[in-house]
Amino acid sequence: MAHDILYALQAVATWQNLLIMAAGIWGGVIIGAIPGMTGTMAVTLALPFTFYMEPVPSILLLVALYKGSTYGGSVSAILIKTPGTASAACTALDGYPLARQGKAGKALNMALYSSVIGDFISNLSLIFLAAPLAVLALRVGPPEYFMLMLFALTTVAGVSGNSLLLGLISALFGLLLATAGEDLYGSFRFAFTEDMQAGLSVAPVLIGLFALPELLKLIVFRAAHKNEAAKLGDQKVTRSEFMASLKSILRGSAIGAVLGAIPGIGPSAAAFFSYGEAQRTSKNGSNFGNGELEGIAASESANNGACGATMIPLLALGVPGDVITGVMLGAFMIQGLTPGPLLFQTNIHEVYMLFIGMLFSSVLLFFAGKVIMRAFSHVARIPQSLLAPLVLLLCLFGIYSIASSMFDVAVLLIMGVTGFIMFLLNIPAAPFLIAFIIGPMIEENLRRALAISRGDPSVLISSPITMIFAVLIVLVVGLTVRREFLKSRNRKA
Amino acid sequence: MHNSILRSPWFCGLMIIAFFAFVIFALIPVYVPRPAFIPGFAPPPDMWPRTISIIGAGLGILLFILALLGRMGESEVIESDGAPRTVQITRFIGALVAFTAYVWLMPYVGFLVASMALTGAMVLLTGERNYRFWILGLSLFGPILLQLIFHSALGTQFPVGILTKQFGF
Repeated sequence: MAHDILYALQAVATWQNLLIMAAGIWGGVIIGAIPGMTGTMAVTLALPFTFYMEPVPSILLLVALYKGSTYGGSVSAILIKTPGTASAACTALDGYPLARQGKAGKALNMALYSSVIGDFISNLSLIFLAAPLAVLALRVGPPEYFMLMLFALTTVAGVSGNSLLLGLISALFGLLLATAGEDLYGSFRFAFTEDMQAGLSVAPVLIGLFALPELLKLIVFRAAHKNEAAKLGDQKVTRSEFMASLKSILRGSAIGAVLGAIPGIGPSAAAFFSYGEAQRTSKNGSNFGNGELEGIAASESANNGACGATMIPLLALGVPGDVITGVMLGAFMIQGLTPGPLLFQTNIHEVYMLFIGMLFSSVLLFFAGKVIMRAFSHVARIPQSLLAPLVLLLCLFGIYSIASSMFDVAVLLIMGVTGFIMFLLNIPAAPFLIAFIIGPMIEENLRRALAISRGDPSVLISSPITMIFAVLIVLVVGLTVRREFLKSRNRKA
Repeated sequence: MHNSILRSPWFCGLMIIAFFAFVIFALIPVYVPRPAFIPGFAPPPDMWPRTISIIGAGLGILLFILALLGRMGESEVIESDGAPRTVQITRFIGALVAFTAYVWLMPYVGFLVASMALTGAMVLLTGERNYRFWILGLSLFGPILLQLIFHSALGTQFPVGILTKQFGF
């Protein structure tokens, strides 16, 4: 094992890899700092470039973008009260009041320190938990995998948007679209044109679904905000201020690591939960929302704390927990690597390189954040009316370059329109995308399970593991329905 | 487009039922052929899409019923510039026309010129008129820069147009 780690350390610590990670972190921070640009967009836009890279650097680039954008989301939250990403919404509650008090630099620094610590702890949780989980996963068969993926889909459907029902319908759309093309036994399904015989590629579907609807929303509704960014002002976080927030940082990191590892939960929920806990237990709880550094620390440590942990189910089980890890699953597959328990047997060097690279990226996040802080106030002011068409341009060139296919470009545009219509119908896009990516795996495992059991569907609840997942699915559905019922009752009251 | 029929849950339910019914009764029988031989107890290729569509139609019916009973929450109001619905629909159609024209024009004017035109059209459709220098730069030099980057770094050959190939793009 020590030999493997040393080998991986040597392989990762090259100038080329460090530059790729630094570029990813910087790019992520800049994209995350721009309101309307999300981490998902950062990762999806970079996907076409990874086709031409080695497997590990390409995944490290995407991970670095993910981490950078999660931190970057706090920048616009603090400077212009517009969270760059959903997970930074809590950061705005205390960050913007601090900026108004002339302490934007202090708030950004606290966000950076908390993000780096949360990120590092999250990486450690990934390193120590992924391998044991993968060993456990090796003992399970197609029925267990099918139920696990069904559980992940149900959870994602439950937490995306305002309605479980619409989330599930969205997932079904994704599953249906994933059936297009050649099936397990060579039959062509929904092959309306010759290009569709190979099915739809992941990249144009996901980039179209996530990047283009923002442009269409801007065109149709034209609700772009004109933002005035605050000046950085007082920058230094004192030792006593840091120590006062340390407990919230560590607790937020732990919350992020735990919630991030559960499929469907992700950084946003972790940040809200951590913020609430910090407010409940802090002696400055009453000051939360008025410019409390501890509030920023709790929120930022949790959202970055979830980043590494979301990779646990992806690497150990091959199940993406959110959209970004869904994109990464696509990137792994493009590179010829199949995430899941077998990855730890067949590609152990790559796994160690990934782990070490992720630890490096935590350190890089600190330096990138420090260096780029001065430019933040300019980045947050870029108008969306220029940004959204630029994103479209990047999508067009990026998607065409993947397979030199105009069909993929057409799919990109069609999925953009589809995403916009889904937005109008209140149907969340995240379950659609995750279902589209894991759809072939779900079907394969279901068909294998049915073939093994000679067509008996009770095989899906015949072992203790499948029964546990069945109970969890019922529990998730029950809890979500109850939450929606209570919300609806409160609204009527 | 906010607060319109399109945003109401019952309409959404109807659309979902119609879509999945179309898949079950029109698409699957024609576009998911059953092979003559299926090994062992393996389920046929139409099993999974049919199952998904039946569940989807069922959930659509449930959504429609819940909406009629008033159990589905009201849609959130979309923030907009306050333009009338007809103007918003016109803008959407404008974007669709631009996308269609992009794909249609591509063989004639090539990837570069079509991308320039689409970017310019998109900026104008967002209603932006203030940053003229940036709009021009983004529409004209953005595609050129990206084509140079992708061509030199990744070796991508972008399609040239029938009308523009004598100029090399």
